[in-house]
This record gives sequence, structure tokens and C-alpha cells, in this order.
Amino acid sequence: MSPELDLLTFNHVEYTYPCSQRPAVQNLTLSIPQYRRCAVIGRNGCGKTTLFRLANGLYRPQRGVIQWQGKPLRYQRQALNQLRYQVGLVFQNPEQQLVATTVAEDISYGLCNLGLSDSEVAQQVQKALLDFDLINLADAPINYLSLGQKKRVSIADVMVLQPQLLLLDEPTAYLDPQQVRNFRLMLETIEKAGTTVVLATHNLDFVEAWADWVIVMDEGQVVLTGTPETVFSQEQKMADLGLGVPLVVEFLKAIQDEFNATQLQQIRQGLRD
Amino acid sequence: MHHQIDSLAYTNRLRNVPPEHKLLFAMILFSLSWVAEPILQLLISCWIGVWIIYYAGIPASIYLRLQAIPFAFWLTSIPALVLGGVQLSNLGLIQADIRWGITIGNVFLYVSNQGLEQVITLLTRSMALTACMYFILLTVPFVEIVRILHNLGCPSLITELLTLMYRFIFLLTETASELLTAQQTRVGYRTWKIGLRSAAIVVRQLLHRTIENYRQISLGLTSRGFRGEFRVVSIRGYQPDIRYEVEAIGGCLLLFILIGWHYVART
Repeated sequence: MSPELDLLTFNHVEYTYPCSQRPAVQNLTLSIPQYRRCAVIGRNGCGKTTLFRLANGLYRPQRGVIQWQGKPLRYQRQALNQLRYQVGLVFQNPEQQLVATTVAEDISYGLCNLGLSDSEVAQQVQKALLDFDLINLADAPINYLSLGQKKRVSIADVMVLQPQLLLLDEPTAYLDPQQVRNFRLMLETIEKAGTTVVLATHNLDFVEAWADWVIVMDEGQVVLTGTPETVFSQEQKMADLGLGVPLVVEFLKAIQDEFNATQLQQIRQGLRD
Repeated sequence: MHHQIDSLAYTNRLRNVPPEHKLLFAMILFSLSWVAEPILQLLISCWIGVWIIYYAGIPASIYLRLQAIPFAFWLTSIPALVLGGVQLSNLGLIQADIRWGITIGNVFLYVSNQGLEQVITLLTRSMALTACMYFILLTVPFVEIVRILHNLGCPSLITELLTLMYRFIFLLTETASELLTAQQTRVGYRTWKIGLRSAAIVVRQLLHRTIENYRQISLGLTSRGFRGEFRVVSIRGYQPDIRYEVEAIGGCLLLFILIGWHYVART
């Protein structure tokens, strides 16, 4: 697994929503390296959701170029459909993504759009139900699921298509601590399948524990990128951006005089695990 | 009530019986109820009641509450069907039809024998027919009804619309419920006037939010590769139950014979 290849790159991208005066993203330049655990953080309205929707081809930038595996995105219907199977997007609100009436049927929806036969679809749905621990909910009506279960289904919906890149918009929002821990285990399953995961979140503790690459956005632009250690070491800048730093970083700062750098690193790793 | 019916349709004890069988059974009983005598209609109502309450495990209170809806309509129709009035000079014309009567001025008000018969027929028939309908609603999930319609050749456009509308009903009721709760927490229904204003806000907001929901779900469909056809695959397997099949077929045959015997005896 070479981490050098950039799956997705944005070059000076600008997008303004219809009926809006202010661009949601402007002069946005970033790269998503393959097999890196990327987290996009930033205040509400900084352009995280727009970034994901641009990457999925749902919006077309007014300026700049978005490249998928080195090639600029093409906005013809067929090319976009192909892109959407490679770049999976999970919405913040699962209600907006779940369209069928039962869990199994909802998972089958994307596969049916691929034009697969019913037996192939059923086989893959069965596998996804097992992979995402949804087998007991296979026949459950979507309307009666909890939010955590709906989130799990919406991720299974996208993962069943085996995308190379998975974009998760606020995946930990509304989840309780146990559901967040389960979600982290689910991410491991996804990564084992060879999918690169990028998630947008406000949960800095989760980012510190999970990510190995952090992108900080503000007012539609990237203002900081790097490893969690690099990004969260810039405490003043993070405070100025209204984000702060994770609890672990504050804790390590409080004890830094009592341990050497190697020990601190070990403590940090221990806390991450 | 809608959510409750839907929920029961997914959790009832007849869930594993193939939906096609349940639909066919209900449709046959529906047809027999049309032509059966009131006593047989009553028998059909009771028999379906057994299927719904005992076999499907639907709480009797819920089933009775549902049956109370057509019963209320029936009650309101009684005066129009049973009561009659004629001028005293025309009393001879309806003498045979009078069960009981009273003279008020120049008019004779009476309870009609024919009307009473009609009321009884209407009661037994509506009970039997609605029981058949409730059997379908309470034991077959809506999505399976849509799938059967699709298999029977119903145009995809209609079945897709039905499926999406079904999803939207839940989104709409959830949104309405959230708005109402939000208003109640801020005493939005303290007086009749304030309540009316709050209700108007709910209606307006529902429109806005439905449009927004529609936009977001459209994006959701697009991001999942929507190509103009809403196709899904169900992986559920059904288990036909021989005991239910024997009872259903035997019962229908018996009813058929009884209806035929009644018809022959009458002619």
C-alpha cells in the first residue's frame, strides 16, 4: 500500500451555491492521499459538506479543477455515475440517503443501479449485512431504526459498491460513546477492504485517535494540513480558528514536564489505541 | 395510528407467510362477503377476527378500535336508512313497511322494516369487508403489497411513486411531530388563538422542509447512481405454513358451499 498516490486533488476550486453571494469554497487546493486516514475539520459552514459533494460530482465547480486519480472529473452522466461508484459519499443525515423501505432493500438499491442481476445483488447484500452486523435488521423497516442503525445502514449502502474512496460527512454526529466505538471498529473493516476513508467531523478527540492526516478548513479554504501531531501542536492557530485541540493534547501538555519526548509519544499512542 | 398499523404489519406472527397467499386469501373472502347472506358475513368477520387476533397476534384493542371506524360511519347512517315520513293521506301505501310510528301533525314518522333490514345488511357487510381490508393492512407490509403489484404488471412509475410516497409519509409525520413538540415546549398552544397561529407555522414550515427534504433526497439518490429506475431487491424468504393453508382453503370452500346452499334454498 503506497501512501504516495493522490486519489483526489482539488486545484483552486471555487463553488458558490445558487442564490448565494458568498462562495462556499474558494481557491480550495488539497490532495487526498490513498490509504491515509484523512479527517477534515473546521467550524460549521466552513465548506466541508460542499467539499464532499464536489468530490462526489454532485456539484460542479465554477472555477478550478478536481482530479480523480490524476484525471479531471468529467461531468457527463455516464462518467459521473462511474465516479460515484469509486467515490462513495455518506451524508450527515442518513434520512436523506435511505430511500427504500427495508434495510436489505436499501442496500440493494445501489447494486441494482449497477445493472447487476437479482441473484448477484442478493449475494452482495447478504455479504454487506454480515460485514456491517446488520443481518438481524435485514428485514427491518428503515422508519423504525435508531439513528445509529440508520448511519450504519447508510455506510453499508455505499460500501457494498466497494468504492476506492469513502467520504463520511459528520459520521459521529448524534452517536453515543458506545456507537462511536462501534463506528471506529467499522472503519477498520472498511480500511481492510482497501478503501481510503475521509471524514468530516467536529469530534477532535476522535480525529486525534483515528486520523493520520488532518485537513483544517476555514471560510471555504484549507488553512492547515498535516499529521494530527503537527496540526494540533499549533494550539494558538487552532484556538483562533475556533476549534481548540483534543483533550489528549491538552493532557499531554499538562504532563510534558514530567516525561521525555519518547515517553510522551508512547502515552499518546496508548491513548489513541 | 398509521405508524402503529405499519409497525404491526412488520412484526405480526403471520409475517413469514407468503404475502401473495395472504392477499389471495383476503381477496377471496372479500369477494365472498359481497355475495354472502348477513349471517355468513358475520361468520366471515368472526373468522378473520380469529386470524387477526389469534394467528397474527394483533392486540384485540387495536383491531376493535380499527373496526370502530366503519362502525361509527354505520351508526351515523342509521337515521337516514331507518326513519321515514309520509303524509297521513298516504299511510296506506307503506302500511306493511311500518315497524313503529308516531303522528306529528299531518305527518306520520315511522321506523321502516325494510330500512332495518338494510341497516343489518350494511352492518354485516361493512364488518366483513373492512375485516378483509384490515387483515391485509395488519399482516402485509406496504412494501410487499407494492412488490406484488409490480409482479402483477403494475407500471413501475406507479410502484416507484408509491414506495417514495411511503417513505415521505414518515418523513413528513416525523417533521410535523418535531415541530409540534418544539412549539409545545415553548407553550405554543396556550390559548386557542396562539394555537391557531402555531398550527399555521407548522403548515408553512412543513412545506419548506418537505421541499428541502425532497432536494436532499434527490441528491442522495443521485449520489447512489440513480439512473431513472427505482429498483431494489428483497432477500426475504417466506415459509408457507401447511396448517394455515389447510384452514384457509377448507374455510373458503365451506363458505362457498354455504353461500351456494343459501342461494339454492332461496330460489
